[in-house]
Parts: sequence; C-alpha cells; structure tokens
Amino acid sequence: MNQEKFYYDNKIPRLFAIACIFWGTVGMLLGVIAAFQLAFPVLNFSEYMPYLTFGRLRPVHTNAVIFAFVGNGIFTAVYYAIPRLLKTPMWNRALSLIHFWGWQFIIVCAAVTLLMGYTTGKEYAELEWPIDILITIIWVVFGINMFGTIFTRRERHLYVAIWFFIASWVTVAMLHIVNSFEIPVSFMKSYSWYAGVQDALVQWWYGHNAVAFFLTTPYLGLMYYFLPKAADRPVYSYRLSIVHFWSLIFLYIWAGPHHLLYTALPDWAQSVGTAFSIMLILPSWGGMLNGLFTLRGAWDKVREDPVLKFFVVAVTCYGMSTFEGPMLSLKNVNAISHYSDWTVAHVHIGALGWNGFMTFGMMYWLIPKLFNAKLYSRKLASAHFWIGTLGILLYAIPMYWSAFRSYFMMKAFTPSGQLEYEFIDVVQTVVPFYVIRAVGGTIFLIGVFLMIYNLIKTAQSGDFVESEEASAAPLVKEYTAPKNSIWHSLIERKPLLLLVLSLIVVGIGGLVELIPTFLVKENIPTIASVKPYTPLELQGRDIYIREGCYNCHSQMIRPFRYEVTRYGEYSKAGEFVYDHPFQWGSKRTGPDLARIGKKYGDSWHFNHMLEPTSMAPGSIMPSYPSMYENTIDKVSTNSKIHAMRKMGVPYPDGYEAIANQDLEKQAMQITKGLKENKIEIASDKEIIALIAYLQRIGTDIKLEPKK
Amino acid sequence: MIYDKNISHQKTTCFHCGDECTTNKKISIGEKYFCCNGCKTVYEILNENDLCEYYELNASPGIEQKNTIRKDKFEFLDNLEIKQKLIQFTDNKTTQVIFYLPQIHCSSCLWLLESINIVDKGIIKATVNFTKKELFITYNEADTSLRKVVETLTKIGYEPHLSLQDIDSKEANKTDRTRWYKIGVAGFCFANIMMVSIADYVSINNPVEYKIKIFFSLLCVVLSLPVLFYAANEFFIAAWNGIKNKYLNIDFPVALALVITFTRSIYELSTGTGNGYLDSMSGIVFFMLIGRWLQSRTYKSISFDRDYKSFFPIALNVINNGKITPTEISQVKKNDIIQVYSNDIIPVDAILSKGNAKIDYSFVSGESLPIHINKGELIYAGGKQLDGLLELIVLKEASQSYLTNLWNNATFTKKQKTKATIYDLIGKYFTYVVLAIGFGSGLFWYMLGEKTLMWNAITTVLIVACPCALLLSQNYTNGNILRIFGLNKFYLRAADVIDDISKINHIVLDKTGTITETKNATIKYTGNQLSEENKITIASLANQSSHPASKLIVDFLNISNLHHVDNYKETEGAGIEGWINEQHIKIGSKNYVGGEYFSTNNGTKVVVYIDGKILGEFIISNVYRIGISELIQGLKKRFKISLISGDNDSELKNIKNILGDNSEILFNQSPQQKLDYIKYLQNGLLQKVMMIGDGLNDAGALKQSEVGIAVADTKNSFTPSSDGVIDASVLPKLNVFIQLAQAGKNIIFLTFCISAIYNIIGLYFAVQGILSPVIAAILMPCSSISIILLTYGLTEMYARKLHLNK
Amino acid sequence: MSVIIILLLVSISIAGGFLIAFFWSVNDGQYDDDTSPAQRILFDNKKINTNKK
Repeated sequence: MNQEKFYYDNKIPRLFAIACIFWGTVGMLLGVIAAFQLAFPVLNFSEYMPYLTFGRLRPVHTNAVIFAFVGNGIFTAVYYAIPRLLKTPMWNRALSLIHFWGWQFIIVCAAVTLLMGYTTGKEYAELEWPIDILITIIWVVFGINMFGTIFTRRERHLYVAIWFFIASWVTVAMLHIVNSFEIPVSFMKSYSWYAGVQDALVQWWYGHNAVAFFLTTPYLGLMYYFLPKAADRPVYSYRLSIVHFWSLIFLYIWAGPHHLLYTALPDWAQSVGTAFSIMLILPSWGGMLNGLFTLRGAWDKVREDPVLKFFVVAVTCYGMSTFEGPMLSLKNVNAISHYSDWTVAHVHIGALGWNGFMTFGMMYWLIPKLFNAKLYSRKLASAHFWIGTLGILLYAIPMYWSAFRSYFMMKAFTPSGQLEYEFIDVVQTVVPFYVIRAVGGTIFLIGVFLMIYNLIKTAQSGDFVESEEASAAPLVKEYTAPKNSIWHSLIERKPLLLLVLSLIVVGIGGLVELIPTFLVKENIPTIASVKPYTPLELQGRDIYIREGCYNCHSQMIRPFRYEVTRYGEYSKAGEFVYDHPFQWGSKRTGPDLARIGKKYGDSWHFNHMLEPTSMAPGSIMPSYPSMYENTIDKVSTNSKIHAMRKMGVPYPDGYEAIANQDLEKQAMQITKGLKENKIEIASDKEIIALIAYLQRIGTDIKLEPKK
Repeated sequence: MIYDKNISHQKTTCFHCGDECTTNKKISIGEKYFCCNGCKTVYEILNENDLCEYYELNASPGIEQKNTIRKDKFEFLDNLEIKQKLIQFTDNKTTQVIFYLPQIHCSSCLWLLESINIVDKGIIKATVNFTKKELFITYNEADTSLRKVVETLTKIGYEPHLSLQDIDSKEANKTDRTRWYKIGVAGFCFANIMMVSIADYVSINNPVEYKIKIFFSLLCVVLSLPVLFYAANEFFIAAWNGIKNKYLNIDFPVALALVITFTRSIYELSTGTGNGYLDSMSGIVFFMLIGRWLQSRTYKSISFDRDYKSFFPIALNVINNGKITPTEISQVKKNDIIQVYSNDIIPVDAILSKGNAKIDYSFVSGESLPIHINKGELIYAGGKQLDGLLELIVLKEASQSYLTNLWNNATFTKKQKTKATIYDLIGKYFTYVVLAIGFGSGLFWYMLGEKTLMWNAITTVLIVACPCALLLSQNYTNGNILRIFGLNKFYLRAADVIDDISKINHIVLDKTGTITETKNATIKYTGNQLSEENKITIASLANQSSHPASKLIVDFLNISNLHHVDNYKETEGAGIEGWINEQHIKIGSKNYVGGEYFSTNNGTKVVVYIDGKILGEFIISNVYRIGISELIQGLKKRFKISLISGDNDSELKNIKNILGDNSEILFNQSPQQKLDYIKYLQNGLLQKVMMIGDGLNDAGALKQSEVGIAVADTKNSFTPSSDGVIDASVLPKLNVFIQLAQAGKNIIFLTFCISAIYNIIGLYFAVQGILSPVIAAILMPCSSISIILLTYGLTEMYARKLHLNK
Repeated sequence: MSVIIILLLVSISIAGGFLIAFFWSVNDGQYDDDTSPAQRILFDNKKINTNKK
C-alpha cells in the first residue's frame, strides 16, 4: 500500500528511436550526395532544378544530422532514461506526443524550406523565423514535460545524466533565442538583427555552444546512463562525473569566439575564446577518462559486446575531438585549419565517431530491451562496428591530408614573389581526396543499413513491451533539523527574494527594449565610404544567401601575405556594418569573395554562373541556369528597405516608394553593359541582381580617399 | 575462539557470506551450501521474497550469521521513551529513522536494503547512504513498528548498531555544506572575472572600446564582492581570532593580501590606471578553498570520536518481581537485578548472582583470555559475557561505573590541540618580513619624492608576496597524502596529524589486538601421544582451575565425562596439581612441574606431568599479525619502540625476539598505567610518541600521545577515539606511511622555497616599482597552479616510490 | 561591439542560474553520498528480469 505502481511508457522512446534512425539515414545519405557533388558537379542536377545544388543541400545535411538525427537520439535517451532514473513516468503523455510530432514536423518543414531556398544564411541556424518560433514552442513543451517529470519524481537524487539534460535544455533555449533575433520581412524571409562583426560574434557564440550543448552535453548524459547500463557496472567515479558536469557548464559558454580567429573580430574577443577553449581540455578529458575507466577490468566484455565496442570508440572520438578542438583554437593552428577541410574532418570525428557511434551503441542496447528480444545478430553488429570505423578513417584521413596539401599550396610563393598556384590548381589537387571521403561516408552509411536490418530483425523476433511496470514509494519529505544556510535564510526572506527577482525581470525587460537601439547606434560606419546596398544589390545579396554561396565561399580575407596577394586587401570590421546577416563563411571550397567586386567584368560573371567551367576550367561549382529564367521579386523591395532602415541602415525616409525605380535603373545599366558584350538578357532576371551584388562586394573601401 | 583443531576442511564456501563451511554437518539447500544456519535462514527469507538478485550482484555478499540473535533482544524498542530518542521524526502515522549499519559494504547491500519494503510491507521507503553506511527508513506506524523494522534488518543480516551514543548525542548527522557554497561562489566569480580580464589584458595595445571597458570593470568589481565578503570570510575570521589571541597565524597575511589586492584593484579600476588584480584574487581564493576542502575531507563512515558509550547497549532487561522489563541504561538503579545475554557488553559494575560467567575483558584491559567469575564476585562494566544468560545485581549505576570513572578521568580528556602549527610560525615571520620590505621600499621612493611609485611599491610587494602559495602547498600536499593514505586503508582524522606523524621519534605498541590478532590464541600439544584416558585426566584437572590457560586446555581436549579430582592444589602463577584415579598429575610451568619437554616452539608452555613422567606440553601462543616482525625491524632502525600490554607476560619471549633487547616491554598494565607511561615518555624523556592500540584500554594512551592510531580489524569493528584508524591488514605498511608523512613535510618545504623564488623575482621588480600589473596578474595564478601541480606530482612520485600507489 | 555586453549578460545570468542550481543541489544533500547513485541506476532493469523468470 505504501508503494505506488506506475508504468514506463516505451512507445515514445520507440517513436524517437525510429525517427532518429530514419532521419539519421536521410541526413547521412544527403551528406554522401553532397560529398559526391564536390567531386562530380553534375550531381547537382542544376540543369533540371535548382533544389539540389550543394549550397542548398549541405544545410539540409547539417541540420538533418544535428537536429534530426542527434536531436531524436537525445530525446530517445531522455524519454527512456529520465523516467527510470526518477522512478516516474513522463509527466504528461500528450506533451510527449506533441513534442515528438512537433519535432518531426519541424524537421520536414526545415528540409522543405531549405531546399526551396528559404534560409537566414547563418550556419546551423538557417531556418526561417516561423520555424524558429515553432522550435521555441516545441522546446518549451519538451522543457515543461521534463521539469514536470523532475518535480513529480520518486527518486530524490538527480543522477548526473539528468543534470546534463537540464543544462542542455536551458542553454539551447537561450542560444536559440539570442541568435534567432531577427526582423521578419515577409513570411519565410527575415534579416538578422545583428550586423557584420556583431552578427559573426553572436553566430559563433551560438555555433560553438550548439556544438557544446546539443552535440556534447546531452550525449554525455547519454553516456553516463547507457555506458554503465550496457557494461553493467557503475561509472568509474561518480564524484568525478559531478565535477565534470559543473566545471564543463561554467567553462563551455565562453569558447565561441575561437571560430573567428584572424577575422575582423577584435583581438581581445578572439583571445578570450582561445583561453577558454584550452581550459576546456580538463573537464572534457575528465569525462572521457571517466567513461573509459568505467570499462576498466571489463575489457573481455568489450571484446564480445558490440554495444560496448561502439561506446569505447565513441568516447575515444570524444576525447580526440575535445583535444583537437582546443588545439584548433590556437592562433597558429587555426591559421592552417580555418576555411580548410581540417575543420570538416574535426567535425566529422565528433559527428560520426562520438554522436554516431554513441547513438548506434544505444540503439543496439535499447531496441532489444524495448522488444524484449535478443539482438538478432551480434556478428552483424560487429560487422557494422568495423565498417563504421573504417568509414570514419576513410572520411577523416583524406580530409586532414587535403587540408595540409591545400594549405601548403595556397601559401607557396615563387622566388619572384608570385603565388605559385592558382586557386583552381588547389581545387584540382583535393578533388581525389573528396572522392575518397565520399566513399568513406558511403561505407559508414552501409554500416547504418546493416544496423537497420539487424534492428528490424530483432524487433520482429520479439514482442514490443509497450510499458513496463514498476513501483516505488513517493518521495517523502525528509525531516531535517532547521539549518542556518544562506539558502534557507534566503527563502525565509521571501519579500527580499521577490524584490530581487522582480528587479531581474525588469532588468531583462529593459534590456530587450534597449538592445535594438543600442545595436542600431553601433552601426554607424567607422569607414566613411561604406554605403548601404542599392535595392538591386540587396536583392542580389538575398539570392546569394538563398543559394547558400556562403557554404563554399568566404567573405573574409585574413591578414596573411598569401591571402592578401591572392584576394586583395584584408577585411576590416567597418566594412560589414550593413551586412544583415554577415556572410563571412567558414569554409573555402571556392575562393574568397571579399574583394570580388569589379575584379571581373559583368559578362564574366554572367558566363560563369551559367557554366562555371567555361570561365574557370576544372571548377567544381554548380551552374545556376534557373537564375537566368527567374525574375527578381520586386514586390519585396519595399519591405526589405523598410526592415533595413528599422535596423539602422540609413536609407532616406520614403525611399521604399522609389527603391524599385532605382533597382530598375541599375538593372538596365547592367543589361546594357552585357549587350555590349553580345549577351542578351532581360533586365528583370535574377542573374542581373546577383551580378550587381557581386560587383559591389568589397569595393566601398577602394573609394576611400587615400591618405 | 579459533583453536587449531584438525578439522577436515571441505573446500565449500558459504553461498551467503563466502566463509568456509567448517562444520561437519552439511547445511545446504539444493546445491547451495551454508556455513551456518543463520546464513541459511537469511537465504530462505530472501528466496521467499524473490530477492535473490542480492546474490547476482556480487558473489557471496552476505555477512556471516554464526551468532544467533535472541528473540526478545529488541524488546526495548517498544519502549516509547527509548524510541523517541532514536528516531528522527514522527507524526504518529509515519516515522523516519536513520540506522548506522556498519555491515554495508557492497552494491548487494545497497540493493537489498533499499528493497527491504518487500520483506516488511510497513516500510515506505529505505534509502542507503553508502558513504556514511547509514540507512534512512520511513515506515508506516500502522503496519509495522521500530522494533519490527530492526528485527527485519537483523533477520537479513544487517543488525543496526544501536548504542548509548546514539541516544546521548544526536547532532552527528549534520553535514556542513558552507564550504561547498563558497567553492561554488568563488569558482563562478573566478571563471567570469577571468573571462573579462583576459579580454582586458590582451587589449593593452588595442584598447577596448571605452564603454565596454567600463562595463567590464564594473562587472569585475561586482563579481569580486561575493568572493571577498563571502567565499573568503573564513580567512578574515581566522586572522581576526588570531589577533584577538595576540598571535599572527597564517591566515593573517592571507587576509591582509586579499584586502590590499582588492583595494588596489578598486583604485586602479576607478582611476583607469590599470586593470586590477581581481582575477588573481578570486582565483587564489578559489584554489585555497579547494585545497582546504581536499585537506578536510573526512571519512564519513569512520568515526574518530567514539567513546565507550558507542559500545554500550541502549537498554537492559531488569527483573522486578519476576517481571522482565527492558529499561534504558540511565534508568537502571543500584540493586536492580539485570539480565545479560551471551555476547552482550555489561554496561554497569555488578555482582554475579546467577549463571556461568565467562567474561572477555580484552577490550577493557587487554587481557587476551576470558576470565571465569564465580557467583558473588564483581564484574566490571565493559566486559563481554561469552557463555549463556547471567543475572547480575547492579552495584553502581552506569554513570558511576569503573569504566565511566576511568573515562572521565581528567587525564583522559585531552585538550584540543591549540598549538600553533609550523605554518602559523612561518606566517608570523613572513608577515613581518613582507611588511618590512613593503614599507622599506615605499620609504625609499618617498625619500626620492616619487609618491605614486611609493604606493605602487608598497601594494605590489604585498600582492606579489602573497603567502597563498605557502597555504596552497600545505593544503594540497596534505590533501593528497590523506587521499593516498585513504586508498591504502589508513584514515586520518585531520590533515595536521600528518605534521604530527612526521615529528614522532618513539612508537609505543599495544600487544593484544595490535601486534597480535584480536583475542585469538592458538593452542597446540607436542610430546608423547595422549591416550584417551590421559586426555580425560588432564581435562578433569584443568577444569578445576579458572586460569585462562586451563580453560583453553579443557576446550581443546573437548571431553564431556570428567573425573573427580582429589587433593587439588593451585599455585598462583605456576600451576595446578591433584590426584585422579590414583594418579598424580601436575600441569604448569617447567619450574613448577620440574622438567621440560624439549621443543623449539615459542609461547606459553604448559608442561604435563603424570605419575613421574613428563608427557609433553601444551603451547599457547598469540597469533602475531603477518608482517609485524618485519615492520618492527624496520621501525627499530629509526624509532625507539616500547610495548605496553594489559596482558600477562606469557608472550615475553616471543616479543623479545621481535623487539630486541633495547626496547622497553611492560606487561600487566592498567589503562591508567599505559597513559602514565606515555606521559613519562613525553615529559621525562621529551619524546614525541605515536601510540598504536586497539582497545578501550588503550584509549587514554591514544589520547595522551602525539599521534594515537587505532587498529581496526574488520571494516565494521569499532575503534576507540584516536587521531587515525589503520586497517589491520595494512599495519605492516606503517613504516612506509610514516615515511610518506615525512616526505610530505619536505615537499611542503620545497614548494614553499620555489614559491619564495617566485616571490623574490616578483619582489625584485616590485620594490623598484616597475612590475607591470599584467605580469603580476599572470605570474600569480601561474605560480599558484604550478605549486599545486608540483605538490601533487611530488606526493604521487613519493607514493609510487614507496609502493603506495596501486 | 556592444553585442558582447548582451552576450555577457545573458551568459552570466545563465551561469548564475546554474550557480543557484548548484546551491540547491548541495543544500538538498544531492552530493552527500557519491557512491550509491552510480550503483542505483543499475538495479531497475534487473528487477524486471527476475519478475519475468
């Protein structure tokens, strides 16, 4: 009578597990396709449709893997582990279902809109504002459900895994809100509230922390639950895991700026990122060792159990990535790695090794449990393990190699002081590596198919356990003698607490009011010659963003001799004050575009976009024939100009009304110029706007009077 | 008692507890064998309740159940008054109680105890605190009772340890969490201040925009306030207490440095002349707090402050007009008639009125063999009845008993150590020197008319020469040594004991239970084969005597039909003789018997003489702990060694062999004499003494000595109040432990010298007033961290060298 | 670069929230026993096994 009976719902974890594997396969498949596209541009199918070009596909791949595959993996773990750790079913089943279907709906929306070209142009946060709002709502639903469960728990102690889940939820919520601060222009189009350098800082503060709190902390929670479970032995040191959690939480949040070393971000902000990134080694390795030591003395088990094999490699990859990460944040290492394939390799060691293998391990353990069956084939699982490992190696090694090859080629000078290689030479050199990488990815994906087969067979051989009965006594209020802790006295002084809390609320409210004006004032250009974009350029820029050009082209020249010689004068912070969003990019599959303006003629761009190899033989860039057919969306000009002015871009009052006249005037000029080169095109085609934008990039600074 | 009988050893171990099954009778259920019926019963209970998972988590996790518990043992728990004192809280519907269960040792225990509600449905929730070996139980008063809960626990092999101490002092459960809050605050503020400060440092050549700079400064100041006023308050409090008592302790220069650093930083930030040192300040506070925490980490399941009360039962059965009522000890009056059962400790001085008293005084006096008491004789409190039920007439109440008096003897209550540690002494001189240098250089610049440089120099000297490094090296070295000791099952009460250990030069050992295994004596017979008739004769004679040795012989021979003895005569301390069936028998020492059977064995020899012929001899000897001889050989090289025992001198020869001739060996020592001997060593010979003992009889000596180490035999045995507890299995490593403690002192000294070098370099620039604040600010945390790493590395290295690392 | 002020304030308030969570967990005695929680998570799936037998 003192015990309460309750049931663990297995349906929700099963749903999430299926979704996780399904989206994982989709995401990886897209990754493989994207990888092959880099080697064989014909696979962009751009002659037939604009939807599958690399620039659009890659964000779908990254979003699918991060938010669909890993996201559903996290939720599988949360909905399975939290009830069991807290001895209570999830707080509200309806919320669980809303969470599940809501999240899948978001994923579908994301895939569709991204392929259609609706993007904010900020990496890993590409989704447009309606989806951002949807994400916020579903995230809150998840939060209510999780905290509801925590508050109604029957187990007093919150196991360390739960702390990792809580921290992930809180921090991701904050990151998402701060980074998604955007002003809607129309349904499915918005501009980032931040401009240029500021946008870059916020973006990478978000970007790094997304890695930290979406790909790392929840998976650490997963590790702390499933690794001991699978090994059937407690974690090596529980005390260490507590220290691991708290030190990670207090350090992680500052590491973001290391993504912007040598950029126009102020030095001091870069150094802060470096310092904290290096400090992160300690807690990260503490966690890794804790995971590995848990298996100390159980290596015979590891040899036999595929689940543990996956976990061991996953944790090792975590250790490698968390060592490599801080190294990459050192300025001299970063000089080599940034914009190169090294970053890609680094990310995939984490994604394939840590997240991928951790998920696979979890699935091999969980599915037999859910279906009350034995794993269909251990051999097959072992085969998956070896294939997957091989896949990771074949992926990572060519990427490292390519990074170093291209670095040395890029910085090679002839004795006479000329650059030894053209950019296209470098591209040609690394394409074979891209092929191997794509093969590696394919092999990894084949492993996943083995897993799917194995798991389906497993499920078929057993009966799904819809719910598991358990019983526990409710949490009893422990009687403790009154204490004189600060905490206690704080609560006793409730009025004071209330006052403090309301002050905080008012403070936050005030900030929200103040921040926009605050930011707008910041956007007064420090370089006098930098002017707002013309309406046509603005439209062209939006096309640039739509096609995801930033996925391969940076707009940020670092102050190195070889970069300045190759691309032109290095970038200054003041050049970007009207860039909503910034388009610095993070990877140079193609050359930097920060000084592309006026470098070539309009006809060059015209021909290049239609058939890149005609202008640059050996180029792997896709062609964009649709831009020659689609017309510029002039209807949106008005609201775009309006939104820009709201954010402090100094368009004159009432300019909205005449903006399209200016636009047409400039378009006519470009068409006229093209005509002189015997190219016939209507002036309202998108390519005209894009050319206008490209010819503008990085030219303002040249107009500055020489001192 | 374990006798060296030749019992055929089956190689079966108990399914429940893993002990060897030694009885001839097979106790088994199916394929599962048990060493005793107790273990079998526990298995049956668990099996019945579907709790056999217990055996799957660990192999043979149980606790041996050879001693059966009598049915009404916990009757006293029905007594409301006693119950009130034991429980935490009740609202007459549900009751919460915390039990100390020293048996808790593995995950099976954890699992079983938390599943206890399956056995007793009235229990709502049971939660184990593994570190404290405590079980927190909430039960429903309607369905069960305190007594039933305790009985259930006892039934499955986890008898709660209920003692008089539980009733007398109840605040033991409170844990002080303030340090955690402080570490949290300091860590949080430190991380955030550092983040802002790094930004500031690297922007020296490229000034951060003005308003961001102001914002950063404000943020730093705001974040540093909780560090200074909350996290660091213990340094200020300690420093102030020192000043009040008119001496400068190590906390004084620390507090001074913190204040100066803070003031200077505020000044620099408000005037815009610099970035301040708030990051260093908060960082150092953070590191110092962690160091203190490491150093103060205590072993929650080990109590160093047990007094005799924790060995005493809570209640006794008092017989009043034929009615038996359980009564709390404090309520037992003079002339009450009380019942004492087997294996109970007798808590009062009393006179035996009924029953076969066989009292084990080893704990109180150190006597290794139990003593027979005749009716009408006095039994002292602290003795343990070994054989059957007794009835006693109370002579003195518990609070007046011999043991209580002994315990409350003024000399037994050692004053709290108030002596200033060596670090306090260093701290004192340190303060003077630093102040002198600071003001000296200030004066120098003042004379030259450089007023800004003057202030600069004074404050920088104080900041740079922060004594924190000293504190850090001490805290971290000791903390790590404590940790290494702990891993090796040597637990110290506090870190300053390490300092004490490193200074000792005389080691005093107890015998029984310390260098010998507790209470276990072996008996062997060598000589001519004894016929059955001989055995009966010897047993019959020995049975007349109450001498422990005689008793051992009787037990050894295991004879049931004894003969009548004529002309029995006992010569105190020599032997016994008598006539049985016309045969003259003498048993005793060789002088008494008048001959010796030649053997090379050590130990007490009891020669057997029947009808003019020496047949052979019984050899009774203590079992010395393995490795004890090597240990003493090792210790002898560096320390003076003495042995004081409450036992008789039967083992003198053995001990002489081990200790050698130069050591003092004293037998038949009362607890008071032991204490006095330590005092004599300290005051008369000016020695620093480490006492190693195990029993209550050593308690006074343990307290009196500089370092008192108690030997614990098994995990759940109790030890008297001491500075440290050493597991008997690692006693042979004692020498190594002492070496590590001494190495620790060297490490502290070395690291302190290194930090002094840092300081001198810093000071060199500081007195000239040219130390750039950035360098100072970077130098300080770097020196702190390097000191921490160095102490850790060096202690680990020494430990490895001494083979203390696993 | 005023945006850094926003990021700072947001980050510090989140970190402050975690600090409060840390206080709560210490005060609640969450870390009084750092041995059993790790063992406890291994118990639940075993009970189910025995019930099924």
